Amino acid sequence: MTQTELSEIWGELLDLDPATIPRDTSFLRLGGDSVLAVRMSALVRKRLAVELALSDVTVEITLDGLADLVAWRAESGGAARALPVEVERRPDPLAPFPLMSLQQGYFVGQHDGWELSYDSAHFYGDVGLTGVDGEEAPEALADALQRLALHQPALRARVTPEGAQHVLPPDAPGAIPEPQIHDLRKAEEQEIEDVLAGVRHEMSTTGPNPMSGPGLDVRLSLLPGGRARLHTAMNLLTLDGWSATLLNRELLALAADWNAVLAPLEIDFGDYVTALGRLRDTEPWTADRDWWRDRLRNAPTPPALPLRADPRDVRPTLMGTRETHLSPERWEALRGRCAAHDVTPSAAMLTAFGVALARWAGHRRMLLNSLQLNRLPLHPDIHRVIGAFASTMLLPVDLPEGRTFAELARGVHRDLTDSASHNLVSGVEVSRELARDRGTTRPVGPVVFQSTLGMDAAVGAAHTESAGPLGDVDFADFHHQLRTPQVALEVRFYELRDRMAVVFSLVEELFESDQVDAAFADLVALVESLADGPGWDLVPELPMTSDAPESTALTLARLPESADAPASGPPADELEQQICDLWEELLGVPVLDRAAGFFTLGGDSLLAVRALARLARHTGAVPTVREFLDAPTVAGLAAAVRARAEAPAL
Amino acid sequence: MIGVLGGAGTVGRVVVDRLAGRYELRVGGRDLERAAAVCPTETARPVRVDLHDPESLAAFCDGCEVVVNCAGPSYQVLDLVARAAAAAGAHYVDAAGDFAALEALRGEPVVDLGESVSVFSAGLMPGLSGLLPRLLATRPLTRLDCYVGGAARIGELSAVDALLTRGPGFGTPLVGRRGKETMPLAPLQKVALPGFRGKVHAWPFLSAEMDALATELQVGELRNYTVYVTESIPRALAEAWADGGPLERHVPAVVAAAEDDLAATGPYYTLLFQAVPRAPASPGPRRLTLRTPDSYALSGVVAAIAAEEILHGRVKPGAHLAADVLDPAAVLDRLSGDPLVTDVELL
Repeated sequence: MTQTELSEIWGELLDLDPATIPRDTSFLRLGGDSVLAVRMSALVRKRLAVELALSDVTVEITLDGLADLVAWRAESGGAARALPVEVERRPDPLAPFPLMSLQQGYFVGQHDGWELSYDSAHFYGDVGLTGVDGEEAPEALADALQRLALHQPALRARVTPEGAQHVLPPDAPGAIPEPQIHDLRKAEEQEIEDVLAGVRHEMSTTGPNPMSGPGLDVRLSLLPGGRARLHTAMNLLTLDGWSATLLNRELLALAADWNAVLAPLEIDFGDYVTALGRLRDTEPWTADRDWWRDRLRNAPTPPALPLRADPRDVRPTLMGTRETHLSPERWEALRGRCAAHDVTPSAAMLTAFGVALARWAGHRRMLLNSLQLNRLPLHPDIHRVIGAFASTMLLPVDLPEGRTFAELARGVHRDLTDSASHNLVSGVEVSRELARDRGTTRPVGPVVFQSTLGMDAAVGAAHTESAGPLGDVDFADFHHQLRTPQVALEVRFYELRDRMAVVFSLVEELFESDQVDAAFADLVALVESLADGPGWDLVPELPMTSDAPESTALTLARLPESADAPASGPPADELEQQICDLWEELLGVPVLDRAAGFFTLGGDSLLAVRALARLARHTGAVPTVREFLDAPTVAGLAAAVRARAEAPAL
Repeated sequence: MIGVLGGAGTVGRVVVDRLAGRYELRVGGRDLERAAAVCPTETARPVRVDLHDPESLAAFCDGCEVVVNCAGPSYQVLDLVARAAAAAGAHYVDAAGDFAALEALRGEPVVDLGESVSVFSAGLMPGLSGLLPRLLATRPLTRLDCYVGGAARIGELSAVDALLTRGPGFGTPLVGRRGKETMPLAPLQKVALPGFRGKVHAWPFLSAEMDALATELQVGELRNYTVYVTESIPRALAEAWADGGPLERHVPAVVAAAEDDLAATGPYYTLLFQAVPRAPASPGPRRLTLRTPDSYALSGVVAAIAAEEILHGRVKPGAHLAADVLDPAAVLDRLSGDPLVTDVELL
């Protein structure tokens, strides 16, 4: 009985006939990956009422192995490390709920809290449409957007100045995002070019802001000859990358068919966040936190990439891009070779990125950050819900000398699997603790790895390519732009229909352009040699040095710390006392010393925004969050306030 | 002649050490050999004495100018030795003994102390804990925070005292004082406090001593915390109180909990007082920290100081708590020079 159901689950996830699935072949070799494995455990939980530990469900598992595991878990009354929470519908779906930790980061970024931050953290993309019905398309799009906003409450989300979020009722003014139409069907070529460039520039540099309106901005430029461009900008505060994929699919599916109905969702993002809140401080949660503490005890530095400017001193408005696509044939070959080497494509790409970085930085051990779009398998619907679920995970990468790429990749794959099975604690919190331990206010993970390879399969139905009055989507004609705070360099691997995209997003002001070009070319060449085969058995050339060498040159590994710590002692004056009292109220701990650090006392960046807002009520002028981070002590803040007050008005 | 009762104990031997050579000492204990072992010089003479034998006790007090009592447990001793000292015309210093002991002495049968002094709570806590904050009250205060604690071995007798720190005459847990009212305070878990090592746990406890101090100094708000380096002791105490039954049964758990703490950080003890003056710009100290490796031994230093202050005629006659009659600046000055005090900061 169980065996049949497990076969059915695999059949569904892998798009195979359940009857033909071999029982002794790994999930990975059958085309599965870690994203699908998480979904598998959610389905097992739902259909068989058996809780699998996150560490149990690896891509190496076979159907027989899974059957044994399920039988054993069922017998022993659940997993050793089951998730002790259920997602439940909240009684009031419009009630406010807290920001997730990564959302907090974006929120603080929007307040100019971080170095390398922007007015909005957002993703912008536009894609070409052909065969568009210019008369019907605007209404079809507006209608689809409205139906989608009813289906997915996160499209009606707002973030309050205090740093909480809530969903507006559908009939609230401005709740439903409305598309803007640029009708250029009768325009001249030059005008079209100018308008499109203008829209692109505007939407790339000014993202929609859920603090004042919808977190989503959709526009349609109608062009001559039945062509059009669909522009979408999404604020990362309310929508993550996974949601972007969902949104595109569902929007096009609804636009294609006036009568289309999406499968109803039993839960929403707020339900998930509320459930996660209950997870905190449970035994499995503290076990994960302790695991990370242990793992990061001797964590390496970020890669020592040479810089031409201190990240603190640059004010970027846009991130630069390098991009290439792997042909469908090569991408398929790469997938096959990854499976043959028992590693996921994500693990292989992380290894390749690590090799390219090691050559660029001159050392082999480094701390990377990763954006995690996985959602905890708390509910089978979770993968179809739009929201800002994303989290981060720190990835210490170590590439020992003298190993073939295949051996390196297997090591990275093991580490990744191990880390992913301890994902109850967000990497944002882990980073915070690491920064606290290192006594730094500089970003601990400014180099980011992101892979959504395999996500398409996890979301379910394939991309709609024909969208009714909106015509056909040409994914080959796709332009995009990302802005995320606290990131110096981010690599992204994702599937674009049947191709694999490799993209660098980076703050150009920080790096020598030719070095970026060289590193990107190095990475692409490595990925291609992996797709073609020979790359696996070669020993990649790597630097002799393990850890980032001490040097006086400015690199990402060693960024200068700010001002010296102030002298310890009781608050020296009324202002310092006022700050102590305020922090004490906010943090719930005594604040007795002028050298006490806001973050050491347990504060986080979100509370920092609040602390400054409240202090402003007393003192008028307060420094920005970014200035505060340079000297986050009682005395440091008092000095910054005084400096503000004394500065001549501009 | 100064008589030191319980002179071979943890507290008593420090009293003997600090006074020996400068005064004639009579060192009393149940066990003559143990008392003899702590007598370093010709001027200190060991004496066998049984607290609960009135004749033996009277004989011990006879001829003493001051009797310093370090024998416990104080909830049993109460005013027993104080009365014997008074009967012999001697001044009296009790290194422990609190309100209950003082009230007992003031009760029936009435004792006429004449020109004699009788001070209780001449130890660390209560004692220094009620005395030293006065150094910060050079001007009206809106707030006074007191954090006292650390990691120290707890003997069986002290465990009993710890288990008794509840109820009328001792104090109220989980509150502080605002004006004339109490206000609820939450325990602080894993907080960093100046003068303490790493992260500590602080349990609000409005002791009778601190309550009286708040009234006397007219402090707007008073928060008093007992600080532990782990949660072992508060947990052991809470379990004992929840369980009820005879105190003795819970002693081993409290003793073991203190061992846990010692294992965690090694022995240290901190007194931290911090004040917020009513007039923000007013000059004067805001923080006092004092650290010692051994809180029991430091009680002995305080008792010895109290005895000398009395001998020098700097304490007014009558029955008092030490904190109410000792001169805080003089005591701090003496403490600063003592080897048991690792550092003192008045900022």
